[in-house]
This record gives sequence, structure tokens and C-alpha cells, in this order.
Amino acid sequence: MANQLLEVKSVDVFYGDVQALWEVSIQVEEGTIVALVGANGAGKTTLLKTISGINSAARGEILFSGEHLENLKPQNVVDRGIMHVPEGRRLFANLTVLENLRLGAYVPRARPFFAESLERSFTLFPVLQTRKNQKAGSLSGGEQQMLAIARALMGRPKLLMLDEPSLGLSPIFVKTIFELISTLNEQKATILLVEQNINQALKIAHQAYVLKTGKIVMSGAGNELLADEEIRKAYIGERVGRRQR
Amino acid sequence: MNLILTLRVLVNGVLFGTTYGIAAVGLSLIFGTMRIIFFAQGTFIIFFAYISYWLLTLLGIDPYLSLIIVIPASMLLGSALYYGIFKEAAANEDKNISLLLAIGLMYLMENFMLVVWTPDPRSVVTSYTTLVFRPFGIVIPFTRLTTLFIAVLTAAGVFIFLKKTLIGTAVRAASEDVVSTTLMGINPNWVNAVAFAIGIGLAGVAGVALATIYPFDPSYGFIFAIKALIALALGGIGNVYGALLGGILLGLIESLGSFYVGGGWADAISYGVFLLVLIFRPQGLFGGSIKKA
Amino acid sequence: MIDKIYSYIKDKRHTNIFFTVLGALIFAIIPLFTDVEASYLIYFLFLTFIHIVIAQGWNLIAGYAGQISLGQNAFFGLGAYTTALIWLHDITKTGYYFDPVVMILSGLAPVVLAIIIGIPLLSRLRGDYFAFGTLGIGQIIIVVFLKARAITGGADGLHIPSTVYESMMPYYYTGLLLALFAIAVVYFITRSRIGFALRAIREDEMSAASHGVFILKYKVLAFAVGAFLAGIAGSLYAYYLFHINPDSVLNMNWLFYPILMCVLGGTGTIMGPVIGAFFMTAIFSFGDVYFAQTHPIVSGVLIILVMKFMPTGIIGLKDRILSRGK
Repeated sequence: MANQLLEVKSVDVFYGDVQALWEVSIQVEEGTIVALVGANGAGKTTLLKTISGINSAARGEILFSGEHLENLKPQNVVDRGIMHVPEGRRLFANLTVLENLRLGAYVPRARPFFAESLERSFTLFPVLQTRKNQKAGSLSGGEQQMLAIARALMGRPKLLMLDEPSLGLSPIFVKTIFELISTLNEQKATILLVEQNINQALKIAHQAYVLKTGKIVMSGAGNELLADEEIRKAYIGERVGRRQR
Repeated sequence: MNLILTLRVLVNGVLFGTTYGIAAVGLSLIFGTMRIIFFAQGTFIIFFAYISYWLLTLLGIDPYLSLIIVIPASMLLGSALYYGIFKEAAANEDKNISLLLAIGLMYLMENFMLVVWTPDPRSVVTSYTTLVFRPFGIVIPFTRLTTLFIAVLTAAGVFIFLKKTLIGTAVRAASEDVVSTTLMGINPNWVNAVAFAIGIGLAGVAGVALATIYPFDPSYGFIFAIKALIALALGGIGNVYGALLGGILLGLIESLGSFYVGGGWADAISYGVFLLVLIFRPQGLFGGSIKKA
Repeated sequence: MIDKIYSYIKDKRHTNIFFTVLGALIFAIIPLFTDVEASYLIYFLFLTFIHIVIAQGWNLIAGYAGQISLGQNAFFGLGAYTTALIWLHDITKTGYYFDPVVMILSGLAPVVLAIIIGIPLLSRLRGDYFAFGTLGIGQIIIVVFLKARAITGGADGLHIPSTVYESMMPYYYTGLLLALFAIAVVYFITRSRIGFALRAIREDEMSAASHGVFILKYKVLAFAVGAFLAGIAGSLYAYYLFHINPDSVLNMNWLFYPILMCVLGGTGTIMGPVIGAFFMTAIFSFGDVYFAQTHPIVSGVLIILVMKFMPTGIIGLKDRILSRGK
């Protein structure tokens, strides 16, 4: 068995009385890209939020490098080395680009490396350097997504979780973002990716899980799932076909 | 003659308004991170006015010098209040609980002061209480000028803290999006406690400043809280810089109001302005901040 | 037969009705066994009834519609002043003393105010902002009453000839009736379509609006009914006080008491404010007798303790204990 960085074991999550996740189990191997795909409301975002401690699991275990995360608060999960780029980016719009990045490196683990991380971010995203004193809210959608990812990288994550990074972006930026994810992975980053852009996500993912109404309905290597026409039709639906055009 | 009189009214308005301003900055900070209006703020201002009164009458410590004791003590009290009373409520989605806690605290403090210090007005009288400057015929009491000076200094200190330090940046970030700050690894309790410490610290400064200017009694705390709230609304709730300006503006409105239409109605005018701003310009008069969804 | 009654009571829908009727009967016969004129118990219950009325008003606005009003003291005071003014100027040409017409008018005056201020405030302000708006209105009303000396007597207020006072009896029974009335009003409103709409607004205003609930209408309605209850409570209190001034009927206590009682008993429940009113009035009375000055401190501590340790109130505590037992 390869070195599993993150292991989610039979997790149940509820919103009030409504069960959102049913015995969900996934594994993220170190150095890989793992994609979570599925329709809207399938529970992908819920799973990410549960891993990062925003939601709590009613049952099940979440292990990160062998350490239990179930009862940790979000800030402590970050401390362990998981950075979560939430859906909609949630930048601090009234803060400058630089201030956003500074907060990305807030945790004691990352703070001493601030200068180093900043240089890396600016190399990856030169546009952020030119706009470092602008308010984050004044950036374009694509630039904001870059800032959100850069802010997460400032925390020197062992695991980077991206929730819908391509949502609402122009096709050119979508391409850029997926290239970026591959690049980051080549630089040894482990990435857990939630996407509705299923084709693109499966193309770059080493491993993928398909969620449907709160349950994992199938899993496999990304390109295998991509190739399996039947399975795609059954579980991923027509969205794939539409996106292919 | 009329010009000088008007000028005098305006200057007094600004001088007194700065006290509202620093109180409102405190309210604004606590509102930013906790999303509640800390109603007890005014009562704490009066509480620290009494502390400064005691330090003077019992220990002979000059009120301005007492700031050295009052500021750290009030900041400590602020964070203790957060951890002792508001911590659980802050995590709760229902903000009404925090609001009611603040109301309960105000009620408690006001009545506590009534018992300890009685309802009779007290004032802090020093050798310089009656000292007055008269530039160009405008009467400016020394204590009011000092208050202005202290207020500006304090506000500048808070603004620099918010702008330059990492935790200050975190406080500003939390007032935009608390969940997102926790995803940066920032402990929301820590941020809230800092906001409370500064908020009550500012109440300490305002209390000492107030004590040197005006006689005060326990019931004045509630009125002061409303005044600070008006200043906050004028400046835009959640806008820390606007709060200071809002305070000064309120001081001007009151000063002009009581000069031209008389004492009691001046209050009604400020409440009226408050309502109009709430209804027609809820982002405040100096709002330039980016709207959030 | 007894089995049937027992199961009828055990049905949750009937418990409240049963206890209200039982309570009403008990309270109705208490004066038969006590010296009404001298008994502290009667005075205590009279105060409790007034508190129940005003607390139920706040309960409807805050607990069911989710709009925290900080202006109940204005409605209470307006009700009290209306009664005093009608009495002094003999406007209705009726018997003045415990005249139902006067009491209803004293409830309607705040309703008019509530509608006039409620439409702009409730249509434009949400959450905290609404609370501040009502606070501002309340403060303006106080200034107006202080300044309109020709009508209100300013800070000194109005003196009603206290020679008409004969017995505590009418106060007690009017209070009891009004308390029952307030409970019934809130009970039937919350169990009607209106109550359903109010709860929908409280839970999620946007989604209520998208389901075709005319939000403003229901909010103003709740606000107005709350004002009416505060007004008639003020009216009854004015009959008892004989001396109406801003200090006695517009003071902050009339703003905080209803909040305190609802919160303590359980906001957004029918019986919560009733329990809260009994409990708080008992504490106040006990404090008044034994710790004349310090008792408001106790009240402050109580609010904090309750909100910290049982934010759903005594009723919520009961539910919590029951669910823990399961």
C-alpha cells in the first residue's frame, strides 16, 4: 500500500436532520491529484468542509498522516497542513492582495517562510505581484482565483483542497487553472480537487471518486473513469456530453 | 460676534464628538468580528470614568496619568469578558443571544454602579479643570483640547495596529468573513478577544476623557451607548475609520442643535438623523467599502 | 373518564390550554381567600399580569417574527399617557375608571404609532438595524413627552385624581383578564396562517418572500399587535399609578423587562413569557423587600447566566432534559 496522506473512513454527516453524506470513504495518496466529481448537491463540498472541520462528522474517521482530524476545529486542521480553497474563493475583498497572502501564511508553521512563499507565489502568478497593493475585490474573477490558490499555498500545505476552482471563469482561465494544478502536482503537491468540469478534472486526476446524493458510487483511476462510457452516462449524467462540445 | 459664537459652537462640537468617536471605534471593532452591537460599551465608559474618579480621590492619581493603569486594565477586562461570557454565544448562529448578553451586562453594570457610587453625579476636579484657552475669542477648555489630543492619538494607534500588524489584519479579515479566516488557521476566539480588548480599552480611554470634561452618573452609560451607536451608524456600521468621523459629526450636530433649538430637542434631532441614516443610507455617510453579498 | 382527560392533557396541543385554564381558575379564586387590600400576593400577581401582557407582545415580535424591538417602552408609555390624558380631559365622556373603551383606545394609540413607524422601519431594516431603529424611535418619543409640556406635563407628568381608588379587586381581575387575553391573542395568531407566515419569515426571509409571503404585512401586523399589548399594559398600569411621568412609564425597565422575561422563560413559546414573568416578578419583589437596592444587579447576572447556560430559556431547558433522558 502506498503512503496515504489522507484517509476518510465511513463518514456520515448531517445538516440538522438531513443526512448529507453516507459512509463516505476516500483515500488521498501523497503526491497525487484526487478528484471528487458528481452533480450539484452530491455532497462534494460537504466532504471538503468536513475534512477542514467546518462541518463535523457524526460518525467515521478522518486520518491525516495517521492523525485524527474529526474533532479538530478548522484553525487546527490548517495547522496540521491542510489548506482549503473554498467555493466562491472567499477572499477578503477589502484587504489588499498582499494582506490576503500574509494571512495565508498566518499559521506558525508557515509564518517563518513568508518571504520564501511570497516569492514562489509571485513566480507562479506574476500578475499578483503587479497588483499586490490593490484590494482583492478589485481583481478580475480569474485573478481572484489565482489569489485564492496563492493564499492557500502561502500556508505551505501538505494537502491542498480546491473547491470548484474553475467555476465562473472564462475558458482561457479554466485552462490556465487546470494547467496550474498539474504544475503544482509536478512540484510534489498533493491535491484534492472538487470539480463540476468533469472531463478536465478526470484528465489530470490520478484517482477519482464519483459522489451521488451523498454516497460514493464509484472510484478508480481518472483516465479509467473518463474512458468508461457506460459509467459516465449512468453516474455523471449528460453534463459530460454537454461540456465536451 | 456671531461668527465667533458659531465657531465656538463648532469647535466644542468637534472636541466633544471625538469622545463619541473613540467609543464608536470600539463598537465598530466588536461589531466587525462578533456581528453584535455591544450595548454595554457606554456603561463601561462610565465605569472607567468612576475608576478614574476613584484613582484621583483615593490615591491622588491624575486622570491623564491614570490612563497608564486604565488602558491595560480595561483591555484585560475586555478579553476576560469575551472568554468569560461571550465565547459560546459567538460560535452560535443566533446573534440575538450575544445581543441579549450585552444587554444583560449593561443592566448589571449600571445597577452595580448605582449601588457602589449612588445615582448622584460625580465629577473629576483637578487643578486644570477650569483652565481655558482663548484663541481669537473662542473659548477652549484645556481638558477638551487634551481629550481631542488623546482621542486622535488613540485612534491613530488603533488604526496603525489594524493596518500594520498581522493580528490587526486578521481582525479586519474576520470582520469580512469569519469562516474564511478560520480556513487560514486563525482562531476566531483569539480575534474576537482582541476586538473586545481594544473595544473595552477604548471605553477606558473614553471614560477617562469624559470624566475630565463632564459630571457623570451611572444612568449616563445607556445614553452614551446610544450616542456611540448613532456615531457608528453615521460612519457606517463596521467601518472603523468612519466611526471616528461619525462621532465628530454627531458632536457637531448636538452642539449646533442645542445652540439653535435648545437642549432636549437636540437629542431628538440626533435620533432623527440616526433614523434617517439607518433607513436611507445604512452603509453610512462615508461609506466607500465594497459591498458583500 | 379520568384516563380520557389524562390522555387529552398529555396531547401536546392541549397541555398549554389545560394549564392556562387551570391557572386562570386558580388565580380567579385566590382573592376569595386573601385580604385583597393588604395582601402582598395580590400586588405581586397584579404586577405579574401586567408583565405577562407586555412580555407576550414582545414575544410575538421577537420570538415569532424574529424582529428584536427595543421600543416597547415607548408603546407602554404611550398607552399609559393615553389613558391619563383621556381621563383628565374627559374625552370619551364615559366612566373613566377601568373603562374598556379607554383601555382599547390606549392600546390603539400605540398601534397607530407602530404602523406609522413600522412600515418604513420594517421594510428597510433587518436584524440589528431594526433593533436600533426602534431604539431611536423610543428615545425620540421620550424627548417628545418631556418637551410637550403643555400636554404631557413634561418631566413632572400627569396627576390623576387618586381619590377614585377604592379597592385592589378591579385591578387584579382586569390584570388577570388582560393576561389571559394576551396569551390567547398570541396563541391564536401563532396557530393561524399568520403564525405560519411569521415563522417562515423568522427562519428565512428570502425564501418566505419567494413563496409568496407578503413579508412587510405580517411583520407590521406582529409589530402592531405587540404595540397593542404593550399599550393596554401601560393603560392598566396608569390606572394603578395615578401619577404618569416619563420616569415611571417610559423608563428603560419597560424596555428590558419583557425581553428579560421572554428570554428567561423561552422566547418563541406560548408559556415561556408567562413562566418568565412569574419568575422575574418574584425575583424583583423578593429583591425589593429584602435587598432594596441591589436586586437589579441580580437581574443582570440572571440574564447573563441564562443566556450563557440555557439560551433557549426554562422551556428549552425542559426540552433538553427530556431529550437527554431519551
